[in-house]
Amino acid sequence: MGKTTYKRLQGSQSLRQRLLLATLSSTPILVEDIRADETWPGLRPHEVSFLRLLEKLCDDCVVEINETGTKLKYKPGIVMGGRNLVHDCGISRSIGYFLEPLLLLGLFAKKPLSIRLKGITNDSKDPSIDTFQSTTLRILRRFGVPSEGLQLRIESRGAPPHGGGEVVLAIPTVQSINAITWTDEGMVKRIRGVTFSTRVSPQFENTMTYSARGIFNCLLPDVHIASDHKSGPQAGKSPGYGISLVAETTSGCFISADTAVSYVLREETAQFEDQDNELSPPEDVGKQIASVLLGEIEQGGVVDSTHQGLLFLLCALCPPDISKVRVGKLSPYGMETLRNIRDFLGVKFVIKPDPSTGTVLLTCMGCGLRNLSRKVS
Amino acid sequence: AERTVSRQTTNLMKLVYGNSTLIKTTSINEEDSSGDEESDGDDFFRPKGEGNKKLSEGLDDGNFNIEDCSKFTSYTNLKDWKEDKLIQNIRDRFVTGDWSKAAQRNQ
Repeated sequence: MGKTTYKRLQGSQSLRQRLLLATLSSTPILVEDIRADETWPGLRPHEVSFLRLLEKLCDDCVVEINETGTKLKYKPGIVMGGRNLVHDCGISRSIGYFLEPLLLLGLFAKKPLSIRLKGITNDSKDPSIDTFQSTTLRILRRFGVPSEGLQLRIESRGAPPHGGGEVVLAIPTVQSINAITWTDEGMVKRIRGVTFSTRVSPQFENTMTYSARGIFNCLLPDVHIASDHKSGPQAGKSPGYGISLVAETTSGCFISADTAVSYVLREETAQFEDQDNELSPPEDVGKQIASVLLGEIEQGGVVDSTHQGLLFLLCALCPPDISKVRVGKLSPYGMETLRNIRDFLGVKFVIKPDPSTGTVLLTCMGCGLRNLSRKVS
Repeated sequence: AERTVSRQTTNLMKLVYGNSTLIKTTSINEEDSSGDEESDGDDFFRPKGEGNKKLSEGLDDGNFNIEDCSKFTSYTNLKDWKEDKLIQNIRDRFVTGDWSKAAQRNQ
């Protein structure tokens, strides 16, 4: 084999997405200066865990990290997929952090993927497991991913800081996804949701539901929020509660908002410091998330701000055909995604504001990624 | 009006893909006035765009070790959705609102 040329990158930002795009586009990367100037330099536990996950999924991939973890060399292999894999996601980020890239990797794997992920199912930083079920998987279906074999099952829940949740994800492989024109937001026809509680009284859920409903009352009667109280081993290792809401529109868009409340580890630095140890009352949590959801609806777009990144990635990975989508205000993560897509796939979006609605229209030509291991039948 | 639209297009493109710092502020303002008035976005957007652009030149750090998070929710200035005026603003985005007005959004 000849000498490998690495694409040189700097910094820790969007490492997850860079690794994902490097894998999909078979581009070896060399990332330098990963938090080189910080008190705790180098890769974080969740980033290392994600690299281990990549090694599990892929054949022939090479990961090299220097002693301080500030430099990373990654040579992607072939995404194999496979059944009955297990990965411990750790407790520094929730399972949602791993699911976001994993969904796309699974689609372009050689064999259908089914994997058991252990860790935190609901936290305030990443999309919750319920949002993946209610919203994210439906966005994938919109791009032509078959619903057979696409499944996310919650075996047990785990709140921060100690986690203890388990989910099983199954993703079918596709040959390619479909380019779409998706600009009609439609009108919100129903709001669904689910609350959860682990190691606290189920009454917390009623309170969240009640206060969330209070916000929607004057807008829509069709609001149904289910509850999912876990106890015993299914409740994981830490107390917590939270809510995930989704607004479904007449044109089949799903707009979501979620959060979770739990205690934080005291001795941990950096990532936990900006929260105090007093839990915010369930009443406020329900009201807040309902307000966030209305904010997302007001902003417009066919997906919420959290899913912009996924939407752009899906558009860019389509066959060489035009995709057109509408989003609300571009989120910072969405913009970052657009840049990464340009850097790795060479796909540049035409971004056009729509002043009459305050939304943004994006058009692109897919890069034509095909799953070569899946034969045309 | 046609001209403003085309100018906004280039500005948004520049905001995302970079290549000129001069026009950035205007494009941010336009974005804000057309959308909702979340002023906390301003400081957040700018450094990132610049950071990415200068990536090859060795940039002022801080920007390029940003947390890797798709969720972008600020709880600091949530609106009070019990207010009548706000509700009127989004009423037509629901099936309980005016359907003909909602259809206009897609023209």
